[in-house]
Amino acid sequence: MLASLAGCSLLQPTRSPVAPPERTIPNPIPEAPKPSAAPATPPPAPAALPATPTAPPPPAREYHLNPATQSLVAQAHSQIARGELPGAATTLDRALRIEPQNPLLWIELARLRLTENDGRQAESCARKALALGGLDPQTRSKAGHALVDALRLLHREPEARELEAQPWMK
Amino acid sequence: MTTRSWLKAIPTPSTRLLLVITGIIGLSILGFIGWVIYLDRVITNEFQGRLWSVPARVYAAPLELYVGAPTTADDLDMELRRLHYQPGDPATGPGFFRRRNGDFELHARRVQFIDELRPATRITLHANAEGITGLSAADGSDVPVFRLDPLMVGSVFPIHGEDRIILTPAEVSPQLRAALKTIEDRRFDDHHGVDPRSIVRAVWANLRAGRIAQGGSTLTQQLVKNYFLNDAQTFGRKLKEAVMAMRLEARFSKEEILVAYINEVSLGQDGQRAIHGFGLGAEFYFGKPLSELDIGEQALLIGLVRGPSFYDPVRHPDRAKARRNLVLQELASTNVISEEEAKRASAKPLLVRSRGGGYFPAFMDLVRRHLKRDYAEADLSAAGLSIYTTLDPKAQSSAEQALSRGLARLNAARRDKSALLEGAVVVAEPQSGDVLAVVGGRDFGREEFNRALDARRSIGSLVKPAVYLSALETGRYTAASVLLDAPLELKLGDGTLWAPQNYTREEFGSVSMVHALAESMNLATVRMGLDVGVEHVADTLVKLGLDRRPALNPSLLLGAVEMTPLEVVQMYTALANGGFKARLHAVRAVLDDQGKPLKSFKVEVEAVASPELVYQVDRMMVQVTQRGTGRGVTAKLGSKILVPAKTGTSQDTRDSWFAGFTGSHLAVVWVGFDDNRSTGLTGALGALPIWADTLGSLRPSSWEPAPPPEVEERWIEFSTGLVTGPSCSNDAVIVAVPRGANLPTKPGCAAALMRAGIE
Repeated sequence: MLASLAGCSLLQPTRSPVAPPERTIPNPIPEAPKPSAAPATPPPAPAALPATPTAPPPPAREYHLNPATQSLVAQAHSQIARGELPGAATTLDRALRIEPQNPLLWIELARLRLTENDGRQAESCARKALALGGLDPQTRSKAGHALVDALRLLHREPEARELEAQPWMK
Repeated sequence: MTTRSWLKAIPTPSTRLLLVITGIIGLSILGFIGWVIYLDRVITNEFQGRLWSVPARVYAAPLELYVGAPTTADDLDMELRRLHYQPGDPATGPGFFRRRNGDFELHARRVQFIDELRPATRITLHANAEGITGLSAADGSDVPVFRLDPLMVGSVFPIHGEDRIILTPAEVSPQLRAALKTIEDRRFDDHHGVDPRSIVRAVWANLRAGRIAQGGSTLTQQLVKNYFLNDAQTFGRKLKEAVMAMRLEARFSKEEILVAYINEVSLGQDGQRAIHGFGLGAEFYFGKPLSELDIGEQALLIGLVRGPSFYDPVRHPDRAKARRNLVLQELASTNVISEEEAKRASAKPLLVRSRGGGYFPAFMDLVRRHLKRDYAEADLSAAGLSIYTTLDPKAQSSAEQALSRGLARLNAARRDKSALLEGAVVVAEPQSGDVLAVVGGRDFGREEFNRALDARRSIGSLVKPAVYLSALETGRYTAASVLLDAPLELKLGDGTLWAPQNYTREEFGSVSMVHALAESMNLATVRMGLDVGVEHVADTLVKLGLDRRPALNPSLLLGAVEMTPLEVVQMYTALANGGFKARLHAVRAVLDDQGKPLKSFKVEVEAVASPELVYQVDRMMVQVTQRGTGRGVTAKLGSKILVPAKTGTSQDTRDSWFAGFTGSHLAVVWVGFDDNRSTGLTGALGALPIWADTLGSLRPSSWEPAPPPEVEERWIEFSTGLVTGPSCSNDAVIVAVPRGANLPTKPGCAAALMRAGIE
């Protein structure tokens, strides 16, 4: 059920070989209420049974461009090669209008912003690609490398190094 | 020699008198010539100024066609007709298409896009009831993507904002010219600006009628009068008009004057805005371009020239019809049209404003504001600009129709008819920030108070996703947390007591966080919000895009903050977009008359909230439409499409809101009274059906982004928040929680869950 919800008709689900790092979080039940000023008074947690085992990560999607956006990306690449950056931006904008949630397009946009020396927007687009990319290792790593380059352009070397050291960046 | 001695030199007094009179006459003539020269200057400048100020043309976003695009065969047919493509043999030339079931052969026109000038192209398109299934070029090769011409939606002078639809001489049909001359000025081609014969005739007719029944003004005089917008009927005024008209005729051709007249003459009033010219008149009254008007419709416009408010077809349909038929009769008697045509056209109803779209004042209003925001005034004053907007004509018409249907239904159900409910809709594409549609009120074809942009109203529970996001940010809450929905009283800063209540006056006791959001529980939200901190919530609102800091009252937790529908859309982009705020924009690009962009366009996104926390909030908001106050959406769109959304109802039901998004659209609807009186409508009763109706015809895709790696989706019991599974509880819902979160399990369910693995 979960898998089918996470799935997407356009994309081929494949299992992710990389499990994301697990982390523990504090018990989600809020702390004891403060006096009347903060009247959040959740009742005590029900008798805690052994928590269920953590779900395995859902199968990751693998991202592809559809033929339309693929041709637009190819067109943008040749525009960039010719130095027509505004033209390339418009072409990628067209592609985004067709597949706004495809992380590969946001990676392309991040790369274009890098070429334009716009580190801030490059960073935002790369982060957006990372967020959309979910668990697809290839997409994550591509987005991650674009983000590293953006951070370097912004002279944020320590963050760039820390990111590069992540296991999923390999 | 002094004057006196000079006069003395003149022999007799009578000669002296003669000289003085001659002097006075001479000076008067000189003065008159000076005056004429002055008037000549004024009118020439005015005329030339108008002739050369070519307004910017405004275009909607072009429709992109590709395999899988949700444009059905019928949609495509409609789009082509909207772009004035004609059924016929495409070999005839650009502008024709042939349809056989789902197969279309199209000869697309040469068209300027933002990034290219595409020559006329032949293409074959295949579509079915789902969307586009294939595209191929004339040589049979596959075409991956093809865009149709962008629809022209108006013209505007970007600086002063006046919109016109300026016609070129080629766009004015011979029939309209002949008809206009017949009705208004039969001797137009022969006179020099003033027609003494028609003046005499008018004077005679007026004397006989005992009142002013006929005007003797030529088209040229009427044009002059229109330029200076003064109706005073004094002799001086008339003389001035006549002189100016003659000067115009001396300097410009009949052709230039006639076309200027057709673009200038006043045809009505729309609130603060005058409807000038036949191009705009055609769009305003009939919702279609002048070239598509039949003779009856043209006759109505021509009839309006004599008295736009007296013959107003909306307010005085009987008068307007009589006037139209009189015009038709005149045209038949002078052989401009046949008797048969006149008879047929006279029998037709007035058909005023059977709008097919094409004129969108509320959206144009946003375009003007965004031009002002993003472009330098000096750049915008250039002639012949093309403005490419993000308008989606289909989304715009869906929103207009949904609002007008919805409000008609709500108004009909009200017993008190002393005021009519109003409303507004904004639709956007959340990832890019493209604004797709703006409707500013019930009467969307009129430019009036633009509620979508200017009505600042209390947002009520639309604020709750920001409260819940703030709670998740503390790290102390998850969607499965248990909240207490029980009464409370608060002493406010000014000493008054505040005792919020649930809308239904019920109390729900211990509830899961997702349940509290889905049912929009006020008590649970206030308790949690106070724990999180009002200040934190205010910070979150600003972070999400509110451009001012709201007052820090506890009532902020229930939406005591006023926002316009457009501002709500801006705030929700970050929720619809995984924590990235996308700056809203209505203008993609402005090209100069050479097709060169004034500046390059950028999609701008900014990370404002953690993607994994926003995902968790969105997942909770899905339950609003699946099980909560927004259930009506699922009834309309089906349960397969996941829609995170929120209802909003302000105090005393003054405002009814609905905000929600799918994978492809973000839309906000507001319903209320302009004078802020109570509507008796919750968000679910007022705004929701209009929202669902708008989205229903847009084939929205489901909201289903990939879950971020840091979260996992779990089944919990809706009411208690305990981990469960569909096999163990019939009250199970999916929520997103931090990966590895240690959540308590419903008693008796652990074994079942172990056996099933994770369902």
